[in-house]
Amino acid sequence: MANTLRLYLTCIRNTLEAAMCLQNFPCQEVERHNKPEVELKTSPELLLNPVLICRNEAEKCLIETSINSLRISLKVKQADELENILTKKFLRFLSMRAEAFQVLRRKPVQGYDISFLITNYHCEEMQKQKLIDFIVQFMEDIDKEISELKMSVNTRGRLVATEFLKQFI
Amino acid sequence: MILLQSHSRFLLQTLLNRVQNLEKSVELDYHWVEFDDVRYHVQVSMKNPHILLLSVSLPTPPLEAVFLGGLPFGAIEAIKAAYGVIVQILDPPRDGFNLTLKLNLSKLPPDEEYKHALLVKIASVREVVLGAPLRVILKYLASRTVAPDMDHLVALVHRPNESFFLVPQQAEKVTVVFPMRFKDSIDTVLATSFLQEFVESRRTAGLSNAPPCLWSHSPPLELKGATDDALSANAGFVTFVIFPRHVEGKKLDRTVWNLSTFHAYVNYHVKCSEGFMHTRMRRRVESLIQALNRAKPDQEKTKKTAHTRSFKRLSLKDSCTNSSS
Repeated sequence: MANTLRLYLTCIRNTLEAAMCLQNFPCQEVERHNKPEVELKTSPELLLNPVLICRNEAEKCLIETSINSLRISLKVKQADELENILTKKFLRFLSMRAEAFQVLRRKPVQGYDISFLITNYHCEEMQKQKLIDFIVQFMEDIDKEISELKMSVNTRGRLVATEFLKQFI
Repeated sequence: MILLQSHSRFLLQTLLNRVQNLEKSVELDYHWVEFDDVRYHVQVSMKNPHILLLSVSLPTPPLEAVFLGGLPFGAIEAIKAAYGVIVQILDPPRDGFNLTLKLNLSKLPPDEEYKHALLVKIASVREVVLGAPLRVILKYLASRTVAPDMDHLVALVHRPNESFFLVPQQAEKVTVVFPMRFKDSIDTVLATSFLQEFVESRRTAGLSNAPPCLWSHSPPLELKGATDDALSANAGFVTFVIFPRHVEGKKLDRTVWNLSTFHAYVNYHVKCSEGFMHTRMRRRVESLIQALNRAKPDQEKTKKTAHTRSFKRLSLKDSCTNSSS
């Protein structure tokens, strides 16, 4: 289980290193506008082939690149009903704070749980390697957080039940 | 505080304050609400500082558990038995309340411990009144007899417009069924996982004396004959089987309180759990933002130039190469 996680993350890291070559590109259609081309997808010559990396049916990562921006969409594993609501709650919590994260997208791309949008401006401000480190660490942290939340719910449930039943003895 | 306590802390505090300052005349008029829509009103007037009027309003019962005479059955006897001469039931109760009690605080027993215990009992008026019908049925169980002319399926109110069910007709056991309903979908999922833990943890050693407990998604057989809206529950049905050993002696009061507030207990812990998750998520967000800030090299540079001066040392080799190129 841990092995596939390492491989998955290494693959994503390598793809990001190759894809993160962004440069400033003013908009071709409208004067004096500068838009992230990966969001608009109007000119095919500015877009690269999107790459889809699947760990299994439930977990995948879509990396779409263009000349001045890069979009990473993640789908996180959700095994049961409880994990489903915990993931939704946590990722919504993060997405609402997208302003603080700068590279996070407020709404995930259709069919995915969370999305990042990295533009050339971010690459100018931050080091490329550290940015990739951050994305990979983010993915690990999401997994860890969801499993810890689930464990805390189960532990609390166990404690609540035991205390209640002990009252009857 | 894991378990819900049977006395209302605010009411106990008010009573203790009054008893300590019995001779001081003061005007009190407090209204407050507790969980599951139980409202209290306390009134003390300047003319009679040792008389305290306590009014209680109970949650609205659904159709199958309607109060006859405005109070659950057995409530008046339970009040008289628990409080004795200190308390007088006023009939009719104040407007908007199910029960009004006139407490004569000068008639409290002089012994400190006994007085405190009685005040705690008065602050647990909710347990005495709402739990009265359950207490009556469980008392029969403790004496291993069957209650005369009791219905096959008894519905008792525990939340506004919701009730739980008892099957009291066997002498050796009483089956209690709780339909669990939650408004929010997240609450429902969390509660379902908690309720399944009840079944799991009973299997562990040391709890084999606790009442057997079952959880099912669909209404159990005991609820055959109940109305349709009583049978809809989005977090399933919990069944407890209570035996005489759970209600003998001192345990009766505790069992009555725990069963009356079971739904409130689960709800309370679901909400605590959500609060805890929020705290965790906020901490995680902070640590992630710190990780992101490490990706920015600019901040370190400005720190350095403010306090230190850094020189780049030129060696002879460098100067040689510079001049040649």
